[in-house]
Amino acid sequence: MSVKSFEIRQANTTAIVAIRNIMKSSFGPEGLDKMIVNDVGDVNITNDGATILAQLEIQHPAAKLLVELATQQDMQVGDGTTSVVLYTAEMLANAMKLMEHQRIHPTLIILGYKRALRFAMHYLKENLTIPVNQLGADALMNIARTSLSSKLVSADLDHFAKICVDSIQAVKTEGKITKKVKYPVKNINILKAHGGTMNDSTVVPGICLNYTRAAQGMPRTVKDAKIALLDFSLQKYRLRMGIQVEITDPKKLEAVREQEVAEVRNRVQLVLSSGANVVLVSGGIDDLCLKYFVESNAIGVRRVRRAELEAVAKATGGNVVTSLADLDGKESFDASNLGHAKEVSEERVADDDAIFIKNPAKTSAVSILLRGPSDYALDEMERSLNDALHALSATLESDSVVVGGGAVDGALNIAVEEWAKSIGSREQIAAMQWANSLLTIPKTLALNAAQDSTEMIAMLRAEHGKSQNDENSKDLKYSGMDLKNGTVTNNLVRGVLEPAAVKITALQLATNAAATILRVDDHIQVEDRDPQAQ
Amino acid sequence: MMRPGQVLVLNTTAKRETGYQAQLRNINVGRETANVIRTCLGPRAMLKMILNAMGSILITNDGNSILREIDVTHPAARTIIQLSRSQDEEVGDGTTSVIVLAGEVLSVSQELLEKKLHPTIICGSYQRGLQAALHVCNLISRKIDTDNKEEMFSLLRTTLGTKFASEWMDMMCKLAYEAVRKVTVRRKDRTDAPAEIDLKRYAKVEKIPGGSESQSEVLDGVMMNKDPTHPKMRRKIENPRIILLDCPLEYKKGESQTNAVITNENDWEAMLRAEEEEVKQMCDKIIALKPDIVITEKGLSDLASHYFLQANITSIRRIRKTDNNRIARATGATIVHRPEELKEADIGTECGLFEVRKIGDDYFSYFVQCKDPKACSIILRGASKDVLNEIERNLQDAMCVARNIMVNPRLLPGGGATEMAIAAYLAKTAAEEEGVAQWPRQSLSTAFEIIPKTLIENCGANIIRTITELRAKHHEMWTKVSGKEPLKEDQPLWGINGNTGEIVDIRKTEIWEPFSVKTQTFKSAIDSACMLLRIDDIVSGVKKKAGDGEQHEPTEAELEEMAE
Repeated sequence: MSVKSFEIRQANTTAIVAIRNIMKSSFGPEGLDKMIVNDVGDVNITNDGATILAQLEIQHPAAKLLVELATQQDMQVGDGTTSVVLYTAEMLANAMKLMEHQRIHPTLIILGYKRALRFAMHYLKENLTIPVNQLGADALMNIARTSLSSKLVSADLDHFAKICVDSIQAVKTEGKITKKVKYPVKNINILKAHGGTMNDSTVVPGICLNYTRAAQGMPRTVKDAKIALLDFSLQKYRLRMGIQVEITDPKKLEAVREQEVAEVRNRVQLVLSSGANVVLVSGGIDDLCLKYFVESNAIGVRRVRRAELEAVAKATGGNVVTSLADLDGKESFDASNLGHAKEVSEERVADDDAIFIKNPAKTSAVSILLRGPSDYALDEMERSLNDALHALSATLESDSVVVGGGAVDGALNIAVEEWAKSIGSREQIAAMQWANSLLTIPKTLALNAAQDSTEMIAMLRAEHGKSQNDENSKDLKYSGMDLKNGTVTNNLVRGVLEPAAVKITALQLATNAAATILRVDDHIQVEDRDPQAQ
Repeated sequence: MMRPGQVLVLNTTAKRETGYQAQLRNINVGRETANVIRTCLGPRAMLKMILNAMGSILITNDGNSILREIDVTHPAARTIIQLSRSQDEEVGDGTTSVIVLAGEVLSVSQELLEKKLHPTIICGSYQRGLQAALHVCNLISRKIDTDNKEEMFSLLRTTLGTKFASEWMDMMCKLAYEAVRKVTVRRKDRTDAPAEIDLKRYAKVEKIPGGSESQSEVLDGVMMNKDPTHPKMRRKIENPRIILLDCPLEYKKGESQTNAVITNENDWEAMLRAEEEEVKQMCDKIIALKPDIVITEKGLSDLASHYFLQANITSIRRIRKTDNNRIARATGATIVHRPEELKEADIGTECGLFEVRKIGDDYFSYFVQCKDPKACSIILRGASKDVLNEIERNLQDAMCVARNIMVNPRLLPGGGATEMAIAAYLAKTAAEEEGVAQWPRQSLSTAFEIIPKTLIENCGANIIRTITELRAKHHEMWTKVSGKEPLKEDQPLWGINGNTGEIVDIRKTEIWEPFSVKTQTFKSAIDSACMLLRIDDIVSGVKKKAGDGEQHEPTEAELEEMAE
């Protein structure tokens, strides 16, 4: 092993440890928040690992790699980003120790890590996961509570946990072909309105669009809504720039004007005559068209964003129509393009009006209305709820949970160590270090809560050691830390739960990240080619 | 250049403050921001004169207006200032108190952090303290009858007492009370709770410099700064029939670019005539309904004006959409989009008198003596623009107070009495908290005392002597009452007379404030203080990236993902 490659690994590890040190204090129920200010002066106050990583402008290449992996975690399971960073940093730091003091080649370390991971995954699935249906009704609340406990909203956990559970259950959908039950977090729309206090936040049914009706004469509520989604303007037809109409007869001038109006009137009537009673338009609606809407008792909404149109289309089973032109060169509007919902209404939200699409035909959707003292607080609340919602949906979709508060880490630590003894090669030492790295989670939790981490880890390990060796104390495998009192208790009873998927993905991603970074032994910076120099 | 062995992780320009340092900075910033506007609290408040970058002057003691103008760089200060804004939007008053209280809550936390208390413990305790404070508010609140003019006036007087307009107090009370009563729409089934009070849309303040402040009034109708299109039109009409339009009454060219090539002289004339004919047709349709007044949001050509004059109709053009909505509500007219669609039902007939009045150099159209206006204009007169602006801000506060009371007719004692009662209650119940969490509870108790303290300080009385006496009185009160049931009507509530600095019984001096304003102040102040306390790391100078929009609006990003 050359000195050079060792130095490179050391530099990479230092960078990742540096990131870890930034993130560390935001972890766990007693974790604190970060305030990140960009050069324009925009402020972000957050506790969410993914947001912190994305906001910090990280330049070091190895650190960037870590950020990418952590983002993966966020995309896959939506929670546990900070865990990935903690694991990776600790695994790398431990690997460095092995290389420095015991001269073990990185490839061997990687092999040891991977084998340890494989065993740990197996052990975790066999022994530590608990099916949700065994837990009873409180399980979901507990999962939401665990995810939210580290966040700004922790002061009123139950309220927000209930919001999350209610809304995730409302969006339950069943796949058409696969018959697989899904809980898409995307169907939950989060609205923010400052004012009130955090406790005033509520769940409102339906998709919510932050617009008002185009005219006050339109009805406020439409039952059995048939929704037309148009991605063009309902405005007086005008020719493209540069095209001129030349007329010779003055009467024709009037005809041109008439035609312009007739063109759009025709379109509106095509749409309305298909039975549509709610029309969402991405462009404008001319005042002269409003009359037809009012007359046929339809709601028209103008300047709806394209993305929102798509969302409504998906939920209501409609199609976004970009043009009325058909193959015959005429214009037509097919009623099959209409989306359906039980009710569409305009309602007052805080200080604004908003359009609600309730009980859409295809998927159910709800919106969460957040209230809070300032935009910064609202943004952070939204991120927190997002994490919790993802955690819930991951649990419901995968159906299994693990016990939180360092319980899994303690159990795996003991189990992997025990198993590693059976490996008769140098990989044993690497596997031992992998097991050791897991303890970073309970350690950070204890540190952030200002508890004696060394002692708490000793207690945790002792309990798990006992549970794995003694047939009579199996229940001790759910032992985790009670950070408030600085003791080790049965966290299953206390209701500290997290989705198994979060833990599994975090361990897999972290081990892969560590392996990738360990494999790097050189760092070549390609200079910017200066075209002027030649 | 990089030194060997040095690893750069973050952007080199990024600045970082961590741990205690960051917390201390946030606390200091909170305290400093509060100090800026502390002297603006209470009846002896001082005004601030602010020169903005454009060189215009703002003279005010409204917390929100001051902080809005100040250019701050520290992120924590922005958070604090935003508090004031959301308070303003939510309840419209108490913008100074919320900042002062939030600043003090942060300030007392410094000592706790020095004792190495964990911020989550502090925040948890504060949140429980907030619940206790709201509990106290429920105990000491009292109901008010919103139809009782006397009581409402005395309440409004408290709000206005701290403002510049205090000289014309009675008049301002009357204005605010009347304006809010006018726009209140009562629900049909329940008479006590109003269905809607939309001050923003339906109560418009019109400022006309000149005259004296006492000439200000609330109209039983609407007025606007417009003159009929032709001087010969009727300028005073009793019981007018009004048509409201939002389309132009003039010839409008088509959207497409049209070139007319005319080879024949007659064609030219025919074309002009066609344009005129168009206008005439529109006017005829309107005239057929025999209105007295035609108002449009858009343009109105001289030709149309001519037709109207002939039909003895007064026409007004280019009014604002919001004005049009107000007139529609006051007169019972419906705004119509096209003249062809006019119906008899669209005509407004509930206005008693239309009149054009000349004030100063301008003409104003008045639509007054409406039967049941539900929309109104408030006319403010005053010496100069700056004075008028300040009076308007004060009036807005007073109207918000009146609205809040209509929505939630409960009152809390002012003059620092509520805060003192909470402080004493928190101190008394501190023992209920577990272990170290008692400290933050005690500190929160001290923080609440900042409001009476500031009141005393601003009127120049002896702070220490008065506050200790007041504290003693409140402690005595809580030893006598259970703290579970509402206080009895004869239980004195001790507070400060903000003018003299003396201790008075609020029940006797009648200084009351709306329940919703006070409780919102406590909620916002404590919520945001907690948010700032939880920060232990400030990274600044991070470059805004192109894809950064996603960070701020995850919902949008999600919707886009969905679209794919």
